[in-house]
Amino acid sequence: MNPRPRGTTATSAFARLLETLRPDLVRFAFWLARDRAVAEDVVQETLIRAWKSREEIKDPAATRPWLLTIVRREHARLYERKRLPTVDLADVEAQGDPALASDGDAGLDDLRRAILQLPDEYREPLVMQVLGGLTTSEIAAQLGLTQPAVLTRLFRARNKLREIYGLAPAEDVE
Amino acid sequence: MSSVIDCKHARLQIGGEPQGLSAEVAQHIATCAACSKFRDETLAMEGRLKSALELPLHHFRESPSRAAPRRFALAASIVLALLAGGGVWLLRPQPVLATELVEHVRHEPDSWGSREPVPPEVLAAVLAKAGVRYDPRLPVTYASPCPFRGHIVPHLVVQTERGPVTVMLLSHIKTDVETQGTTFQEGEYHGIVLPAGSGSIAVLAPKGREFDGALKDLLPTVP
Repeated sequence: MNPRPRGTTATSAFARLLETLRPDLVRFAFWLARDRAVAEDVVQETLIRAWKSREEIKDPAATRPWLLTIVRREHARLYERKRLPTVDLADVEAQGDPALASDGDAGLDDLRRAILQLPDEYREPLVMQVLGGLTTSEIAAQLGLTQPAVLTRLFRARNKLREIYGLAPAEDVE
Repeated sequence: MSSVIDCKHARLQIGGEPQGLSAEVAQHIATCAACSKFRDETLAMEGRLKSALELPLHHFRESPSRAAPRRFALAASIVLALLAGGGVWLLRPQPVLATELVEHVRHEPDSWGSREPVPPEVLAAVLAKAGVRYDPRLPVTYASPCPFRGHIVPHLVVQTERGPVTVMLLSHIKTDVETQGTTFQEGEYHGIVLPAGSGSIAVLAPKGREFDGALKDLLPTVP
């Protein structure tokens, strides 16, 4: 009988974890890129890099933020390398991108379009926090900002989205 | 004890991190009806925000926005000739291609070491990155998208009964179909290059490690 190679259990667990986390990586990449094809490219590259570097991960709980970091880097690298054109939101909306469809919930459709229209500097930390589950200090570290700066961006992002619900925005902060 | 922050800063905290309010903000909310209402509204919106960000991926896959990948396939006659030939194929070496293939494999010595199957998601990502489709019937223990002659190609290591062999899917390199199979011996490796789809597929192994018996499982499915 062949002995089970060392590390097999951990590697299998990592493979299962990748499978579990992949949907959120695709979503995260889409909100960064606002383009399905680019999001798919970014996640493909992320999975390949993550698999090659899987020995770096010692704590399974750290896998999710680690993968989100790779997604962000790959997204940035893709734009640097290919000099992709920026996404025209009017085109995204005019094409009725099925990625934004919500099975008849018009309010959710409106909210998704409103999120897409947020400036990158507000949308990115918002997605990192709500979808990625990162704390403001983790976001600050990844974006190279101070924690108060991240807090302000998150506040402004939500303040803009309040209008979708007919809510009065709060007074802005300096 | 009175609250130490004002409404403006309480709302900054609520809007910035509604799920993780500090004790100071909680204390302020307890004494300020307007900020309490602002917090309730923000938390109500937060649930919808999470739902909005969690895009339905079944819609995501509708109307794919990219060209279909090229499928690797061998003509049935070639497969039959190869299998019936018992591994004795036309010996028409392509020294340049063989040398480049072996050089490439030498530069990735770690590729031989893994015995753990590559997760399907990772294999699919490698194939998609090269724009090819391939359905191996043996465990793939290494998969990497590698630059080769100006294109990204899948570099795979597949586990056979005799040990690991390298498979490279060269969708951009055409071989002469008439040659059917080109075997080569190069340094410490031997291998074969076969036409597949509009390109070719290369199988390499260290000398002495036969893979003839595994070829039927390594080669692409005949449609």
